[in-house]
Amino acid sequence: MVSRLVSPALIALDSFTVAVEVDMHASRQSAFAIVGLPDAAVQESRERVRAGLTNQGFRVPEGKIVANLAPADLRKSGPQYDLPIALALIGVGGSLSAASLAGVGAAGELGLDGSVRPIAGALSMAEHAARAGWKRLVVPVDNAAEAGLIAGIEIIGVRSLRHAVNILEGHEEAPDHTADINRLLLEGTQARYPDLAEIRGQGAARRALEVAAAGMHSILMLGPPGGGKTMLARRLPGLLPALTTDEAIAVTRIHSAAGLMAPGQALVAARPFRAPHHTISAPGLVGGGRTPRPGEVSLGHLGVLFLDEVCAFAPSVLDTLRQPLEEGVVEVTRSMHTARFPARTLLVAAGNPCPCGHAGDAAVLCTCTPMNAERYRSRLSGPVLDRIDLWVNVPRLTRSELTEAQAGESTATVLARVAAARAHQHARGQTVANAELTSDDAGRYADMDAAGRALLDRAIDSLALTARGLHRSIRVSRTIADLAGAERVERAHLAEALGYRSPSGSGWPK
Amino acid sequence: MAEMSDLPAGLLLAKLASELGRDLGRAARMAGGPARLARLSSSAVSSRLGLDADGRSTLAAVWNVETRSALPAQIERLGVGYIDAGAAGYPAALGALFDPPFGLFTRGDWVRAFVALAERPVVAIVGSRVASEAGTQFASRLAADLAAAGAVVVSGLARGIDASAHEGAMAAGGITIGVAGCGVDVPYPAAHRDLYRRVADSGAVVSEYWPGTRPAPWRFPARNRIVAGLADAVVVVEATARSGALITADFALEYGRPVLAVPGMPGSPRSQGCHALIRAGAGLCEGITDLREELPNAAWTAVSERDGPVDANARAVLTLLANEPMTPDQAASRLGIGVPEIAGIVALLQLDGFVTELGGRFQVVP
Repeated sequence: MVSRLVSPALIALDSFTVAVEVDMHASRQSAFAIVGLPDAAVQESRERVRAGLTNQGFRVPEGKIVANLAPADLRKSGPQYDLPIALALIGVGGSLSAASLAGVGAAGELGLDGSVRPIAGALSMAEHAARAGWKRLVVPVDNAAEAGLIAGIEIIGVRSLRHAVNILEGHEEAPDHTADINRLLLEGTQARYPDLAEIRGQGAARRALEVAAAGMHSILMLGPPGGGKTMLARRLPGLLPALTTDEAIAVTRIHSAAGLMAPGQALVAARPFRAPHHTISAPGLVGGGRTPRPGEVSLGHLGVLFLDEVCAFAPSVLDTLRQPLEEGVVEVTRSMHTARFPARTLLVAAGNPCPCGHAGDAAVLCTCTPMNAERYRSRLSGPVLDRIDLWVNVPRLTRSELTEAQAGESTATVLARVAAARAHQHARGQTVANAELTSDDAGRYADMDAAGRALLDRAIDSLALTARGLHRSIRVSRTIADLAGAERVERAHLAEALGYRSPSGSGWPK
Repeated sequence: MAEMSDLPAGLLLAKLASELGRDLGRAARMAGGPARLARLSSSAVSSRLGLDADGRSTLAAVWNVETRSALPAQIERLGVGYIDAGAAGYPAALGALFDPPFGLFTRGDWVRAFVALAERPVVAIVGSRVASEAGTQFASRLAADLAAAGAVVVSGLARGIDASAHEGAMAAGGITIGVAGCGVDVPYPAAHRDLYRRVADSGAVVSEYWPGTRPAPWRFPARNRIVAGLADAVVVVEATARSGALITADFALEYGRPVLAVPGMPGSPRSQGCHALIRAGAGLCEGITDLREELPNAAWTAVSERDGPVDANARAVLTLLANEPMTPDQAASRLGIGVPEIAGIVALLQLDGFVTELGGRFQVVP
């Protein structure tokens, strides 16, 4: 006899329906085979299923057992097929009726004792199940909260095989896992980021962070070690407006696919902050692998990607950021499939101004040879350099500067201004932040007064601004005007924007 | 041997020096001048130079008549000009050198550049290759002011102060002359390819070395003697205690040219060389006025004084920064103006060349 149910399969964020069928023939020889392009983890499923069934008190039918995963040309990977195979096998054994398995999807890893362990990607699976019109989706109890975000599908979170069978057979009440997404979002916004008020001094850098948050402008902080670049960067997610429902789902989908959800966690409601180490590989940064996994740039989707010691990253690795930073999406192409991960992240880079860290330091002489310093700076070329809108120096403050520094504004105060600036952009009819405007749109929205235009002309002449640099300054000036609540970009706004352009003549590539 | 006597002696010797990879200045002095050395037979030259077998065959190859007569065409093909020492138009100032170059290879309109050398004030601006932002800004400002006052700015095409001096002079539409420590067609550092081209367009790039000659450590001090030799006065902007700019200053003193040094913060390692020069009696340079006073008889042209900023807040910021460099938030809290406004004000002041940023702190450009 044949027993069957379905299971959602994920490749990157794309989902497919896999039909799981188990057939049993009476035979004197016991055998258990899994067919349908399974990988090693799926093959090993046999041992977990057998042990799980036995330890939960189910009989493993005697005979020749074949589990088939269809379609046969789709590579099946990971341990998530343990649960559907086990349920189908129980069906074959007669402890679960065909009616109980009708319209049921399942995904989960089994422990040898028959307990059900969490899997990656439950949110996308629930979305798939709802789209495909399945009735119920059985998932590990630790994943039930995230799966419960999706309306239109009954989520059954199970602790063990026995638990699953009892619920499916109607012997036990299924707990309700429907999540209140608005409450979760609210809790997320109340999550505490480190507060900006904890940083003394560094007014210029704080201001640059505010501009970055208001227009989603990428920012590069340069300064000697100990200036507080990392502290500043960690406070940037708190300056970004709270995620909307759709945004939070999008972020959660990626984190879920990467297996980064804590057991029982329903939603990534706070803006992510990702800070990969500079030894990271290209697949680690932008995603990849045989079964494509999201990289750091996607894990930072709608949040902040912080590249500390940016000049220490391998140039070939930084080069892979080109597509994600330009298009807001990563495409990982494999022979059978092209995976797409969203990657709209706010890039924050930080670095020493030279290998020894003291170039531009008033107190200590830089000991780098010009050639070394040049080579170091030239590592920051290409896509990252092209995308930096705001350059800001973060000096190491002297003791007197620190004592003189006034207590800075809190995150909440700055966030209020950022939100108002974003509202301005919205009211103009912008669907994207200022940094993401096309050149044409930027020119249209950044209407400039006469004094501003005169300054712009002068800047083009005397600063030898490139077309790219010019548009960058215009976008940044639009954001500064938004922060000031001004309809038109004024001279002072443009002047401040010009102050954030890349330093000329300092050896940084232009 | 008519064509041989037509051939400038310096061209032949420069070719030989390049092939042998050594300096022939001493040999020329011993022979009683480059022209005499060039007239000697190859065996006589060989014994004077003490050449080994390899050297002798190199010498023979250069000394043969066909090679010699092909030399002018060779540099012409490279687009390089040559003017022999003592020829009409050659910078007379170089005649005073103890070991003058045999001649100068040039890129650019050397006739116009050398006429300017003869008629106008000539100021060399030299300094550290690893210069501070303030140093490069000052060098660039001074060069621009000098160019506006009709002076020719000479420097060595190196990174840092040299490059800023050339850039400043060119930005003001002046004539600037770059003296290379290698062939005029060999950009060194490689990143200065474009600078070489623009300096040649605005004035000239000159060198005593045969085109294609690679830079070597000993050629830079030799280059410095030409920089000092061309100039009426030498300004050292930033120099550590062991900077090559001090070699230029030494040559200048040897040739009787005034040396001026730009002071830095007391104790700053970047300015130790300048401070040592001032201690030893060099003039102090805070701007073009000091040069006009140092060279009162030069043919300066009159220029109008620069106006300060109009905006009251900008003037207040400038006054504040004149006392000490500070961060925008310090300036903001002292003046009671917001950081965003200060950021805009200093950006404009920077654009106008009144202030410069050094690692997050702003200071007034002297």
